[in-house]
Amino acid sequence: MSEDLKAKITELFREKSKGDKKMFYIRDVTKWLPGEDRHAIQNAVKELLDEEVLKYWSSGSSTYLILTEFFPKE
Amino acid sequence: MAKTDTPLLDELEKGKWPSFVKDLKQAAEKNPMAKDLLHQLELSYKDKIGHWKHGGIVGVKGYGSGVIGRYSDRPDLFPNVQAFHTMRVNHPTGWFYKTDTLRKLCDIWDKHGSGLTNMHGSTGDAILLGTTTDHLQSCFDDLSNAGFDLGGSGSALRTPSACVGPARCEWACIDSLDLCYNLTMTYQDQMHRPMFPYKFKIKISACANDCVAAIARSDLSIIGTWKDDIRIDQKEVLACAEAGMNIQKEVCDLCPTRCMEWNGKELKIYDEDCTRCMHCINLMPKALRPGKEKGASILVGGKAPIVRGALLSWVIVPFLKLEPPYDELKSLIERIQDWWDENAKSRERLGELIQRLGMRVFLKAVDLPAVPQMVKAPRTNPYVFFWPEDLKKEVK
Repeated sequence: MSEDLKAKITELFREKSKGDKKMFYIRDVTKWLPGEDRHAIQNAVKELLDEEVLKYWSSGSSTYLILTEFFPKE
Repeated sequence: MAKTDTPLLDELEKGKWPSFVKDLKQAAEKNPMAKDLLHQLELSYKDKIGHWKHGGIVGVKGYGSGVIGRYSDRPDLFPNVQAFHTMRVNHPTGWFYKTDTLRKLCDIWDKHGSGLTNMHGSTGDAILLGTTTDHLQSCFDDLSNAGFDLGGSGSALRTPSACVGPARCEWACIDSLDLCYNLTMTYQDQMHRPMFPYKFKIKISACANDCVAAIARSDLSIIGTWKDDIRIDQKEVLACAEAGMNIQKEVCDLCPTRCMEWNGKELKIYDEDCTRCMHCINLMPKALRPGKEKGASILVGGKAPIVRGALLSWVIVPFLKLEPPYDELKSLIERIQDWWDENAKSRERLGELIQRLGMRVFLKAVDLPAVPQMVKAPRTNPYVFFWPEDLKKEVK
C-alpha cells in the first residue's frame, strides 16, 4: 500500500474539513483524486480506518467518512 | 406526564391483532430501557414527532456496519435510552434456528441490551433493539463466541437473504440456501467495510413464487426457474376438474400469456409462450410440476421508495444454471458492482443508475447481450439502439 496515497488522502481530509462539513462519502474522496485508481483509494481508506485516522459515520442507510478527531462525542 | 400514563399507546392495544405495545409493556416491567422506550414513544405520539437522533456509531472493532446508532433527544426525561443502538445480526440462511441457539441469542441480548428484538427485519437480519455504546463490543464478543456475526448496514452489501428453498419447499428450482451462504461468505469484506455509493441488496428466491419478494426489494434478484416444459399429469388434471375446479376460468383465463388450452379432457400448454409465473402450478400442484432443467433468472434494479420511487427488478439473464462454486454468477455480480461503484452518484441505487444512463450502457459495461426477455413492455423501453459507431457503418 502506498504510504504516499494514504498521506495524500489524510491531507485532503484535513483541508476539506476546515469548513463546517466534516463528513464525506467515499465517492467524494475518489473525486478529490481524479488521477488515482478507485480501488487503490478504497484500499488506502480501509487502511486509514484500521489505523483509526478515519472513522465511519453511518445514518443506518448511508455511510460517511470522517477524521477521528471530528467524530461527534455522544 | 406521569411515567405510568400511556393513554395514546393504550389505543394501539385495542382491536383484534396482537400489539407491539403489549410486548413493550411486558418488557418494561423487567428492563428500565424498555420502560423509557415505552414512555418516549408515548411522548412521540403526543408531540407528533420522533424523539430519536439519527446515526453515528457504525460497529465494533474492524467493522464498518452492523450497528445503527440511535440517541434520544430527550435524555433528560428518558436517561435509560440516551443511547439505544440497534445491532443487526446476520441471520442463519433461510431463518432456521435450533431452539438452544435462539435461547443463546436471547440470553446475550438480555445481558447486553433492552431485551427487545425484531425477528426479523426487512433486511432479513435478526434485529436487536437497544443497547448502550459501552456494551457494543462485549455484546459482539459474546455473539461471536456463540457463532453469530453482524450483518450489513449503511453503504455496504446488505446481508444476502434467501427463501427456505429445498429445505422446506417442493418447488425449489435452485439451492437458495447454499447459494445465499456461499455469497455471504464470499462477500464478507463488501458487507463489513462499506465502500459502495449506497446500499446493495441480494435476495434469492428458489422459484417464481418469490417468497422473499426478491423482485421488489433487491438490487440483484436471483429467482429460480426452469428451461424445459412444465411436467403434466393429465390424470391429476382431470381429478382437479372432477373435484370442481373450473380449469378454464381459474387456470387458462388467468394465465398471463394465455399459453394454455383446456378442452374438458386434456390440458395443453404451449411452453414456448410460458413465462414460468407458476400460477397454474400453484393451483394444481399434483397435476403440474416445473420442468427438469432447472436454474435461475438474474434480475437487477429492484428497490423500495426512499430517495426515489420504487422499482421492480429487470431481467438481465433469463436462465443461468446455478451450481457451486457459482463462478459465473459471482463474475457477473462483480462486473455489475464495479460498474455501479464507478458510475453511481452518492445514494444512487443500481436501478436508478440504469434508468439514468440507460440499459444499453449497462449491458455493454457488464458484457451481456440484449435478449427479448429483457423487454419489460413492448414499445415502451426501446433501449436497444444503434451505437454511434454502428450508425456510421450503416450510413456508408
